[in-house]
Amino acid sequence: MSATDAISNERLEALLRGDRPRTDGEERRAALLDGLRAARLRAPEPLRVQVLAPRAAPKPRFALPSRRLALVVLPAAAAVAVGAAVVHGFVGSGGSGKPVPVAESQGALRTWSGAAAGSGATVSHGAAPSAVPAKTPNIDVPSRLQHTAASLTVRVPDDDALSKATTQATRIATSLGGYAQSVVYRSPQSGGGTSSLELRVPAQNVRTALTRLAALGTLESQQVSVQDLQHAFAVQTAQIAQLRRSIAALRQALRDPSLPDAQRVLLKIRLAEQQRALAQRLHARTGTVAAGTTSRISLVLSTSGAVVPVATHHGRLGRMVHSALRFLALEATVALYVLIVIGPFAVLAALAWALNRARRRREERRLLAA
Amino acid sequence: MKGVNAASTSLDPPHALAARPSFDEVAAEQLDAVYRYLVYLTGDRSAAEDLAAETFEKAFRMWRRFDPRRGTPRTWLCRIARSVAIDWFRAESRRRKREETYARDLAETEDAAFGDGLPEQLELALRELSPAEREVVALRVLLELDGPSAARVLGISQTACSTRLSRALQRLEERIGDVRD
Repeated sequence: MSATDAISNERLEALLRGDRPRTDGEERRAALLDGLRAARLRAPEPLRVQVLAPRAAPKPRFALPSRRLALVVLPAAAAVAVGAAVVHGFVGSGGSGKPVPVAESQGALRTWSGAAAGSGATVSHGAAPSAVPAKTPNIDVPSRLQHTAASLTVRVPDDDALSKATTQATRIATSLGGYAQSVVYRSPQSGGGTSSLELRVPAQNVRTALTRLAALGTLESQQVSVQDLQHAFAVQTAQIAQLRRSIAALRQALRDPSLPDAQRVLLKIRLAEQQRALAQRLHARTGTVAAGTTSRISLVLSTSGAVVPVATHHGRLGRMVHSALRFLALEATVALYVLIVIGPFAVLAALAWALNRARRRREERRLLAA
Repeated sequence: MKGVNAASTSLDPPHALAARPSFDEVAAEQLDAVYRYLVYLTGDRSAAEDLAAETFEKAFRMWRRFDPRRGTPRTWLCRIARSVAIDWFRAESRRRKREETYARDLAETEDAAFGDGLPEQLELALRELSPAEREVVALRVLLELDGPSAARVLGISQTACSTRLSRALQRLEERIGDVRD
């Protein structure tokens, strides 16, 4: 056997634990280990004094969050997000439900909702649906440009009544100068039927429309929201006027025969840009006017026992859940955007960290191998 | 000879430390072990002395972060000592580049670095090993760290740690044989 017989790692571990050597090679290896352990090597006295000298406790330093802290923070953040959504849902579902007259609405979105079984525009939460059609809120014909959106849930006795009410609702919209944008009629063999209508009605007739639609059966719930568009309209009109003045000035300048060619080209480019911007503003203003002059009514007609796929929400709890879910979705969207923005930087940072770590490891190996 | 480490080996099993010891206790128990490790790693007693002092200074500042459930105080201190020593090696490497001749001369003047009472052949053979080989010998043989703890200090796998130790000891045997011949 040579002086450097290979000894398996297992046997070496056994020798380190103090097992008896079995071969000559192991005998030599054990002797080597004993020789290494035989050396006396104690810390010098000055070092001992220095290290063991009493000292003041170090000041607590700011430390980055540990992984364990992250395990607490992440669920806490999720809980806060859900809590915020619940609070938002609670607040957004409305308190007493007392309506505000539309005429008072100035540039804001106003909403009335609830199970409308009372009288007038008052919303009565928790009231049993009444056979008496509820009156619509006091939606006056506004002097300002406003977009009205309403949703109603009306119950009818049976499938025949459902069919008739659906036809009647379409006729009501047509008779008031509007139209039915979509009608979805479901009448399954078992269970109740439903009919969902998306109606467009001129703004000045929305109150009449709501009154007549509510009279098609028993009004279970209604929600009316009014959004003021006057400011947007004014802004768009001002922009259009400005663009027109700018275009006129550019055209006037281009008529000058002494204009240098280079400048002429620049002015023509600017003119084209202004004309394009004008076309966009005009299109946008047309849309604003259309939204302000046409009201949207979502009507759901259902028979008793039907499962209503409603856009409207029954009671405060339903609205609260809906509002909370919307808020959660908003939070998720924001989180996703943040992730998309931060993601590449985080990946780059992780990559840089990994590369730096690998470089340091290589350097360490090189330093210690010397 | 295992008696040299008898006081500190009682701290080795990770689960033996249910209660957190005080820093003073740990420093008193582990000072010799850390110093031995640094002497083997650097091959220079005076540097090891400085680095040991720095290690315990750093450990004192970081003591709040020591978690007995994640390892023994000895393993934790050896990791700090290694980090401190690596910085020293880095600085030495830069210095040697600048003052190459002086550094070479300085290395040659070192004597009896690895312990009193060590056979001369073994002393010479140890000097022939690389710092990486000497440190694994120090951790496994002198400080009697178990395989997983030593691997954690070195930042390598347990198998790689065993292999490195095996090679280091084999080289030591070869060198001792060469010196005898």
